[in-house]
Amino acid sequence: MVISVDERCLRLTDESGERGALLGMRCLQCGVHVFGPATFCQSCTSPDLEEVELSADGTLYSYTIVRVPPSGWPGPVPYVLGETELPEGPHVLAEVIDCAHEDLRVGMPVTLALQTVGMDGIEGSERAVYKWRPV
Amino acid sequence: MSQFRPVREVMVVGVGLHAFGRFPEENLSDLARDAVVDALRDSGVPWSAIPVAYFGHVYYHGMSIGETTLAQLGLTGVPIINVENACSSGSTAFWQAYWGITSGVFDMALAFGAEKVPSGPVTVTAENSPARYIGGDHMMAGYALRMKRYMEETGAPASALAQVSVKARQAASMNPYAHRKETYSVEDVLNSRLIADPLTLYQCCPTSEGGAAAVLCAADALDTYGIDRSRAIRVAAAALTSGNYNGRGSDHSAFSPYRTEPAALQAYEMAGIGPEDVDIAQVHDAATIGELQQIEALHLTPFGEAWRATEEGRTALGGDIPVNTDGGLLAMGHPFGASGIRMVHETVTQLRGEAGPRQVENARVGVAQCSGAGDVTTVHILTR
Repeated sequence: MVISVDERCLRLTDESGERGALLGMRCLQCGVHVFGPATFCQSCTSPDLEEVELSADGTLYSYTIVRVPPSGWPGPVPYVLGETELPEGPHVLAEVIDCAHEDLRVGMPVTLALQTVGMDGIEGSERAVYKWRPV
Repeated sequence: MSQFRPVREVMVVGVGLHAFGRFPEENLSDLARDAVVDALRDSGVPWSAIPVAYFGHVYYHGMSIGETTLAQLGLTGVPIINVENACSSGSTAFWQAYWGITSGVFDMALAFGAEKVPSGPVTVTAENSPARYIGGDHMMAGYALRMKRYMEETGAPASALAQVSVKARQAASMNPYAHRKETYSVEDVLNSRLIADPLTLYQCCPTSEGGAAAVLCAADALDTYGIDRSRAIRVAAAALTSGNYNGRGSDHSAFSPYRTEPAALQAYEMAGIGPEDVDIAQVHDAATIGELQQIEALHLTPFGEAWRATEEGRTALGGDIPVNTDGGLLAMGHPFGASGIRMVHETVTQLRGEAGPRQVENARVGVAQCSGAGDVTTVHILTR
């Protein structure tokens, strides 16, 4: 069974690691959503939060084609790094896959896609990683 | 802001630098020590008179590195505090030195910073972080995301952003301490290799090594220590903020006022001045887009117009609001622990009228703004 890259941010819903949902927290006091775990609301500091599955669909807020990757990057180079705005508010950074560079547009609709990625030569390093894909 | 109550007036009485660049033969302590010795010499204050020291640095070079560094100057037993606040580590050390004096606890303080930096893209998270799989932990990619938005929303052409870097090199060509002193053209900048579109190599600050130091003293203690009052520069404001939730927390928007603006407004209020009173500014130009965003968040131009001010030469030496008069991060390079104090060094040098060929005529009010991961911002205002 594939392991989520970060179980506090991505819940896998099948054993293949191809389906899952981004996790966030919704503040029951002020309604603000954040991506990933939180104990207190980042906006109003309330402890009154509930875990929610965030929308799988969003729009591309900004993007860049990374030609010089950070150390440890296990994917192809160059890669497209996209910042997606979710309808609930949070922005989520991830690789944009299956999109020719010339087709990238700010504001384009994208949807969540999971891929299994391993660190080169490291046994047991495979993780299901969240990505964005054009709709 | 009302929770800050400066009590005593604080002056910068000495500044020092170790040149910025690559120094494989020197370790972190060498870089830091040379800057400290330079600053002490500049102030005329002996090390034995310094009651407290704050050392800004990011990368780990062993425990208590501030203590082992200053031990070279003699074991005086004073408190030495090691400060890590990302790219703002140096300016945070300076901020602490200021508040240590203005609160009445100390008459004097030493703030210093240095860095030995590995080559390549800078990351924020630890080695085994999930972020390595996701590919978003890349300082310059973050700037590229902001740059894309900025260009989309303001219509700024790539050439205007490149001009920020051209301007930096022009200033650095007159600065013996700078890492990169060779001048180049807008075309050279745009044709340098892409790091993360649309950011090219010459629009990213080099990861450099170096050291910087400042000696601060209470205005009412200058005579006690025989300090030359004519070269003392007043710290009119010292502000430090971290991230605040504004809409959705951290994103890469065209304008990120919530990152710098709170510290800027706090500093202007403390100093009792407004952005219209600023003669020179040193801002956090880790990438070209960074300089434009910081200029706007400091209200030195309206939002969305810093690129035009740059094109018109207004932010260059000789313009009406010269920015990064020593070459900034883009040409000085960016030793994290040192950069914030390097900005103070340049501001003090300019306000003293000692900047030589880079001198801005009649500079009386200078702003030094430094950013760091965690949406840290420091804004210091110095006045003559």
